[in-house]
Amino acid sequence: MSMLEQDRLRATLRVGHTAVRVLLIHPMTSGRSVNNSPAVSGLHFIQDIRCWRNDEPMLEVKCGSATAENPYFAFRLMEGEIGDKIKVRWVDNMGQKGVVETLVN
Amino acid sequence: MTSPYRLERRTVLKQFISATTLAMVATSGLLLPQRVLAHWPSDAFTAETVEDVLLALMGQADIAEDNAVTFAVGKPTKLITDGQSVTVEITSSLANIERVAVLVDNNPNPLAMSFDLTSSVMMPLKSRIKIVEGESKVIAVIRAEGKLYKTSRDVRVYAGGNP
Repeated sequence: MSMLEQDRLRATLRVGHTAVRVLLIHPMTSGRSVNNSPAVSGLHFIQDIRCWRNDEPMLEVKCGSATAENPYFAFRLMEGEIGDKIKVRWVDNMGQKGVVETLVN
Repeated sequence: MTSPYRLERRTVLKQFISATTLAMVATSGLLLPQRVLAHWPSDAFTAETVEDVLLALMGQADIAEDNAVTFAVGKPTKLITDGQSVTVEITSSLANIERVAVLVDNNPNPLAMSFDLTSSVMMPLKSRIKIVEGESKVIAVIRAEGKLYKTSRDVRVYAGGNP
């Protein structure tokens, strides 16, 4: 798992758009057992993910505990150019935060 | 000893209760969308039915079912072996999309995620969700220009995730 300990962000310029892929490293536990018992102890999941391009807000994702472990998102931003700064921040229900940045290539 | 006084009291109570419920419904319907925009919409994520989620998240539940939304769940599409991580891909030809939600009707809390898009974001959106064991309906709802559009896919999951 050592390869997967950091959040990853890739942004690639394509014809007419920038393709962004982001993989966040997070357990995303719902606290429920496999049989869907109602207990919610151990609830630990990312709630809010936001993406900026050159400090301009682009996308906001709100997650519930039904988002898979190590959340992965892929989306496209209109146009863009090489060297644009893409930034993703996340915060979970326990207040832990993360930031990951990359330049479009 | 049922005096007219007691009967009157009943009606007054009933009227009072219905008036307060009406007032509550009206305020919740009006206030929710703004509150939702501000931070994590806990009402929508803890709701237990698809209708409640849509009311809480989109402020309405009237849906124009439409083929302007295309939507792929999992690979292969119908039979999913691992419900812990199911790929979902949403595509749409609609313009001015404000919000996209992904729901699974049999999950304990149907709402899996919700995207708020700016005009610079293009489809497709791709992510991974958890689905409970058994047959479920995965639903994608898009709000564009104040209208809701919905598409759903029936899936069968062999080993459920625990969403």
